[in-house]
This record gives sequence, C-alpha cells and structure tokens, in this order.
Amino acid sequence: MSDVYVVGAGMTPFGKHPDKTAAELGAAAVLEALDDAGVSLGDIEAAWVGSVFQGMAMGQRALGEGGISGIPITNVENACSSGSTAIWGAAMSIKAGEYDVVLALGVEHLTGAFRGAFTPDESDVEAQRGLTMPAVYAMRAQRHFAQYGTTSEQLAAISAKNKRNAVANPLAQFKKPVSVDEVLASRMIADPLHLQECAPVSDGAAAVVLASKRKRAALGGSRAVRLAASALKSGRAEVGLKDMTVEDLTWRAAEEAYERSGIGPSDVRFAEVHDCFSIAEALRVEGLGLFPHGEYPARVVKGEADLDGRLPVNGSGGLLGKGHPLGATGVAQVVEVVRQLRGEAGARQIPGARVGLAHCRGGKAQGVEGTACTVNILTV
Amino acid sequence: MTSMEAATAMMKRPYEVEGGLVRLRAGRCPECGAVYCPARLVCDGCGHRGLEEILLAPRGTIYTFTTVHQSTPEFRTPYHLCYVDFDEQVRVMLPAAGDERPRIGEAVEIVLGTGPRLVDAEPEEGPHALMVAWTATGKGEGDV
Repeated sequence: MSDVYVVGAGMTPFGKHPDKTAAELGAAAVLEALDDAGVSLGDIEAAWVGSVFQGMAMGQRALGEGGISGIPITNVENACSSGSTAIWGAAMSIKAGEYDVVLALGVEHLTGAFRGAFTPDESDVEAQRGLTMPAVYAMRAQRHFAQYGTTSEQLAAISAKNKRNAVANPLAQFKKPVSVDEVLASRMIADPLHLQECAPVSDGAAAVVLASKRKRAALGGSRAVRLAASALKSGRAEVGLKDMTVEDLTWRAAEEAYERSGIGPSDVRFAEVHDCFSIAEALRVEGLGLFPHGEYPARVVKGEADLDGRLPVNGSGGLLGKGHPLGATGVAQVVEVVRQLRGEAGARQIPGARVGLAHCRGGKAQGVEGTACTVNILTV
Repeated sequence: MTSMEAATAMMKRPYEVEGGLVRLRAGRCPECGAVYCPARLVCDGCGHRGLEEILLAPRGTIYTFTTVHQSTPEFRTPYHLCYVDFDEQVRVMLPAAGDERPRIGEAVEIVLGTGPRLVDAEPEEGPHALMVAWTATGKGEGDV
C-alpha cells in the first residue's frame, strides 16, 4: 500500500464571483494545482470532484474547461464534506495501487442560488417543521451554554479570531477585522447565533494533486506533503437521548485518522476545522480531542487558538472568515494545511509547523447525527 | 397494511388524539426496544426489520431550543424550535406554540397548530402540524 503525498495545491479566491461559472472556477484551481505540482494535463490518471448544488457532472464540466477529459471522473456529493470526500476517494485509489497521480477538486458557485438560511433537504421532516442549519447549531449552542457556562461573548470571540486571521489571507472573502462587540451587534439569525457567527454564501474552488510515493520521487522537489491519514465516516442513527454537545461523528473520523497515522491529538500543531458557525468550531475541536470538552470557548478568549497560541485553529480564517463554498471547503482546508507545512502561508505562517489536521463535517438529515465527516492529517 | 402504506399513512397523520391529548406516532423495535420518531423500516441498533407502532406520551421535556429569526420564505419569523425528550427515550424536534421563549428542562405537551409554516393546508395535515405548548404545571422545573 503506497503512501500518499500532496504534490500540488491550487485555490481561487473565495467570495462572490457573479461573472464566473463553477466550471471556470474549478478549472482555475486545477491548473494552479497542476503547475504547482509540475505535472502536465496528461499525467492526471483519475479525478474525484466534490460539489453540492452544482447539478449533473460538475467534474466533467470543470475538468473539460481545464483541458482534462477521457479519464475516470467521479462526482461526489456528501454535503459540506463533498470536497474532502473527493480527497478521501482519490487517496484510496492511490493506496490501492491503481493510480500514481490523481486529482481532487472541490467547487461551488452559490451567488444568487439561495434566499434565506440553508436547510436540510426539503423532504426532511425536521426541515418541514422549520429547522434551518443555523437552528441546528443554535440549539447545540444553548446546550453548551447550559452545561458549561459558555457565553455569547465567548462564541463571538471565535468569530472575531477567524475574521482577524482572514485579513492575513489574500484568498479570503472577508478583508476586515470584526470585533467581539460588532459580532454581538449583528442581527440575530437563530438565538444565540448572530449573522457574524454564520459562514457566508461563497463561490470558489480548490484542488490538490495527490501522488504515490513512486511518482513523488520521480517528480523530485522537496515541497511534497505526506497525507498521513484520510478518514471518512457518516453520522450514526440517533437512538436514545444523547448529549448534543458531543460529536461522536467527529471523534470516530478522528480516531481512525489518529490510529492510521500514528499521530495523536497531542502531536497536532495546528488545525483547520469546519466552523460553519462559531459554536461549530468549539464542538469540532472538542470532538477531535484537541481541547478539553466544554472548555474551548473560554480558551479562545485567552488566545490559545490564535496564530501564536498553543494550538492555532483556522489560521486561514476558517469558513467564517475565508468563506464557505460548500463543495470547495474541504479541499481548501487541505490546501491551507499544505501551504502552512511548506512554510508558504505568508503573514499567517505558523512557525515550525510540521503536523496539521483538517476536519470537515457537513449536513443534517432526520434521524442521523450528521451527514459526513472527514479528518485528514498531513505532515512533513 | 404494507410497511410502505404504513409509512405513507404516518407521514400524513403522525399522531393520534386521545381524550384531548395529542400523542406522536413512533416505531419501537420489538427486538431491542429502540424507539424512532418518525418510525423507520429497519432498526439501526440491531437490524430487526419491521418496528411496532407505539404512541409517545403526550408530554415531554425541553432538551434545548432556539428562536429562529431568519428562515426560508415558507416560514414566518420569528419562531421557536425545541428538541423535546420523551419518556420513551426518543428526542423529537417540534416548533413551540406561542411567543414565550422556551426554557431547557421545562415540561411541555403536544398541541395541534399550523406552526410557523405559511401554508393553506388544514392543521392536521403533514408533519408541520405538530407544536408544543407549555403545560400549566410545568413551568420552572429547573435547568439541565
């Protein structure tokens, strides 16, 4: 079974791109990733493409725009984990020995596609009763408040941190820092979550070129990053009365990634996690075992998750600051980890970073804890 | 009735009214006792096919809640949502009747109503017909 390496990474700016199609965004990310890897169009043996609301054959449309056709292309929809599921599939095909160079792309164009809040699928009973995605996390936040004494000010500090980090990321959607007071002054979406605690509607694409150990050696160069583990899980059926502040789904994905990589939570130097809402970041890092359960929001206020803190979280700006083009998000997280590990993260560089973790978790469906969750651990 | 017909019937009218009390239909696994609301074809816990229909208690306890201020155009905002825990060890999400802010730990009972959805349908049609309202005795029964 071959080790898997990320040999190339590319990403468009995240934000509003009303003048571009999803295919154009996807192709731009792919071409940057190919150039970064030093491989040509003909070197790509297979591709996995994640998107959520882009319709049929997003992969063929984006790769066709980018000059790639004829190879196996697998289109993936796994809610917000679509892009990271594409990475998981691409990595599996290399580990299986079938291919040496495989592309993973995530792409989404949402400008003008939605009004109001995101909801689960309209066939979902809870969605028919009024459940929105912000409401899902708002209700979990209320439990975090009640069980651990977490406050709105502490959650707002998570948003303020990520939006501050985004200012140092030229590809991020938000360019201005936002204070805790400004977060709390923004309008309420679902109590206790304010507008500035919810990920925005975004367009964008991100791509990585994965290679086997053999191909990585042939390519030469020293910028390859090892994908030490890629784990994918789906949410278990909700039976009984469980603690909604505990992320069983996140932990099961993390546990597999830790076991497969031999890298434990105490070895992780920094993390990109799925902060679709401020409270979500807390639930993720606590679920990953990176911070003690119930304590993360208070520790953010102390600066422990800052770029110069004990364990920087979402140094890219995260979904809250960088933007959240659903299918692209999971790939963009890995692009960020790769750039950090290569020392190419510019003003947001984490000194001496050698182990990074990317966590992506998406979706809600009646009767299951969550749709899909990936944990990717990368190292140099 | 086939399981498919039963599932369809439950979607249309997911409750029974007995003596003025509204009780949700649910499915219980005859093998391991796991309860699902709504019911499903196969028990996730033990794989048993075919759940027996039960009616949940007419009252439950608020596990958590939110007030939704932004939704999709089909809903009038603001509205309250709750996850309600029932003695049968099952948790169900329901909109709350009235303007009062829900509280964790509060006892509630099921009432019928149109909920926050902007629809012309009769209240007893469809899953959005269900709501919860405070019981007279349930106020202030502590937190968490």
